Amino acid sequence: MEEKKTSTADILAKIRAQKAAAAAAPETPVSPPETPAPVAAPESAPIAAAAPAPAAAPGPKPTSTKDIMAAIRGGGAKPAAAPVASTPAAVTAASTAPAGTPAPSTAAAAGPKLSPQEMLQKMREAKAAGGPAAAPVAAVAKTTAPVAAPPMPAKPVAAGKAKPAAVRRGMASFATVACISAICFVLGYLFGNSLLIAVGALAWGALLSPFMAAWAALASVGGIGTLGIARFMFPNVLVEPPSKFKVGPLSDYPLNTVSNKWKDQFGIWVVHTDQYEGRNMIFALASVCTHLGCTPNWLDGEQKFKCPCHGSGFYMTGINFEGPAPRPLERMGLRIAEDGMLEVNKSVKFQEEMGQWTDTTSYVEVV
Amino acid sequence: MTHLTHNPDLTSSVIYGLGWVYLLMFLMNAYWTRRSYALDGNCRLSLGGILGKGEQIPVAAFWAVYAGMLLMIAITHLTGWKNPQQFSLQMPEFLKEPINRASNPVAFFIGSTTIYVLMIVLRKWWTTPTAGWILLNLSILFLALSVTDYDFRQIVGKPDNVPIVAMLYIVGFFTWLYFKKSVDNDERKAAGRPLFEQENNEKVLTWPDLVYSELICMVLVTAVLIAWGIVLQAPLEEPASAAKTPNPSKAPWYFLGLQEMLVYFDPWMAGVVLPSVILVGLMAVPYIDFNKAGNGYYTFNERKFAVSTFLFGFLPLWVAMIVLGTFLRGPNWNFFSPYEFWDVHKLELLNNINLSELFWIKGLGRPLPVVPPGATFAQQAPIILLREWLGLVGVAFYLVVLPNIMAATVFKKFYVKMGFLRYMVLANLMLMMMSLPIKMVLRWAVNLKYIVAIPEWFFNI
Repeated sequence: MEEKKTSTADILAKIRAQKAAAAAAPETPVSPPETPAPVAAPESAPIAAAAPAPAAAPGPKPTSTKDIMAAIRGGGAKPAAAPVASTPAAVTAASTAPAGTPAPSTAAAAGPKLSPQEMLQKMREAKAAGGPAAAPVAAVAKTTAPVAAPPMPAKPVAAGKAKPAAVRRGMASFATVACISAICFVLGYLFGNSLLIAVGALAWGALLSPFMAAWAALASVGGIGTLGIARFMFPNVLVEPPSKFKVGPLSDYPLNTVSNKWKDQFGIWVVHTDQYEGRNMIFALASVCTHLGCTPNWLDGEQKFKCPCHGSGFYMTGINFEGPAPRPLERMGLRIAEDGMLEVNKSVKFQEEMGQWTDTTSYVEVV
Repeated sequence: MTHLTHNPDLTSSVIYGLGWVYLLMFLMNAYWTRRSYALDGNCRLSLGGILGKGEQIPVAAFWAVYAGMLLMIAITHLTGWKNPQQFSLQMPEFLKEPINRASNPVAFFIGSTTIYVLMIVLRKWWTTPTAGWILLNLSILFLALSVTDYDFRQIVGKPDNVPIVAMLYIVGFFTWLYFKKSVDNDERKAAGRPLFEQENNEKVLTWPDLVYSELICMVLVTAVLIAWGIVLQAPLEEPASAAKTPNPSKAPWYFLGLQEMLVYFDPWMAGVVLPSVILVGLMAVPYIDFNKAGNGYYTFNERKFAVSTFLFGFLPLWVAMIVLGTFLRGPNWNFFSPYEFWDVHKLELLNNINLSELFWIKGLGRPLPVVPPGATFAQQAPIILLREWLGLVGVAFYLVVLPNIMAATVFKKFYVKMGFLRYMVLANLMLMMMSLPIKMVLRWAVNLKYIVAIPEWFFNI
């Protein structure tokens, strides 16, 4: 018999059919058989069933994948993939087998075949049982079905009582570590041994849980790495063009011209114009657009600086007039040096919107 | 003009390449003719009374004629490519001229927004296979004809710009696909039939179905990338220099929308604030969205607001801005029409002014309140606030008062359903998104630069 290509839907349907058959065949073994627990039925049932476990759990209609997986595990433990291929009869046999005799199912549950999910579920149930509300239920469940509770770490129950002891132990270990660390520090300092100091510092790690210690280690390594990177912000040697340089005599710059001569080397234009406030002056403009820092071009035909990035435009005076630039180009310091040459000082800048262009060191008046 | 240009519109290789394009189009349309013959019915053709009452002819006949014309054009190209001077099949001037004259940023934005609106309004029409096919053919014809123009070819044919053309087709196709599927589902819903996704449950297994498809995709993408890397060389330029910015200077293509946005905003706004708002806003969508419909199936009618809002932000405000930035922005970031030479010396008057200047100088005829040089912050602040009060009040109104007005009027239902906080997030995200077109329109209409301009504090809106 050739099977067609099985889709997920087919597989799910098949599993559901098998499950329904398994659930329908034996009714009684599902519920805890000889629990004397007279307590509220809905509460005791899941607790007692915790061990017979997933096999006993199935409700009438499995909806989620989890249920289906639980059904498969409860049915045949290992052959999770088998039901797909095997004939329905075999599957029902497999799944009814543990249901018929309650003992094997508990054995299976207590055995090593438990999945993490099942263990978690059990733990949760045990916890719920240990809670104040269901305390008697838990007692009953423990006494009646000792097999039901696999050897689980009983931490949650003991936690409440153990606290003071833990605190005391914590204090003791804290004191120990503090002593060791202090001794290491002192000795390390006395003998100038940095390794000892490091040990003293690391000793504190013993206080932490492995989880915390790992994070602390990561954080400290990351912190040291960041500091190391920050060190690059302060290089030992700075290779930059000098911030003060001579740009030739006044006569090199005729009236109403912009000199591109120093743009490549120093990033400045030298402008000689009488268009700003009607005064005849020379000043140096930084060739950095005040919008986003591109380098504008001086267009002689249009008599303007134009930025190629977003279209900002500036007059010869440096005042912005078109595009998105929010403020005028910045001036650099300029003066006539002792030898009569113009000297630019790039370490200072003058912004028009701050009213700094009135500063006499921002321009040289031509008379 | 054409005689003066050094570079001829047509070269042998262009004609030859176009020949193959037309041949491919012929093959595509031959297939389409066959499909049309099988699926489309007949129509009555009377040719304005020449055929009397008219005759029944299959719709496929039109496609056959069209395909035949394409074949002839292809043959012309593939045989006559050796003599480009004599070749006359090219974009006619009478088509270029009006396009050149009509194209400017305003027309572009209005056009893209109009297309966006039509796309939604006419979704039943343009998602039919025939309409989609016609649109595809028109777009390829437009591209093929335009390539015969030198300036167009220089820009569209640039290796960095080729992927953008491909992206446009991909965006177009997936938008078409979305609308087609949702129109189908909306009709099913209206007729009471089950949804397409319910009727054709295509659930498959991850292994092997999905993994195999992924493997095939991987192989194909690798092959395409290798071919692309060999055929189109990387557009390397001269070594970078701090003193020289290429003109025009363009961001990577996917950032050109942002670069276009920077033309209208302060760098702090368009470079930092708005991109962050876009990212955070997209992350916030699942928390804002209260409409449970449309989960797991295509629909438009059930998610009108969500889809329209997203598509407005994506198509006219992002994709169209990328197109604008890539193809239509030339030297000095001036606007150039598709068939225009990228002249470095093109003059465009863009004397922009701030709102404060508009108010004080033009409105009141008084000079701006001036901050005296060397003033402390405490002395500055009142003068600056007085200078910019109109813009500050306007922005406050826009971001604080307007959401409340909208809550009481157009977004009443939203406000009731979403609660105050979620509604405010939605309203502010909407308003932030709309601030881009608003700013663009203001720039074009009144040359407005900044609504609030405080360069003293690096604060411009």
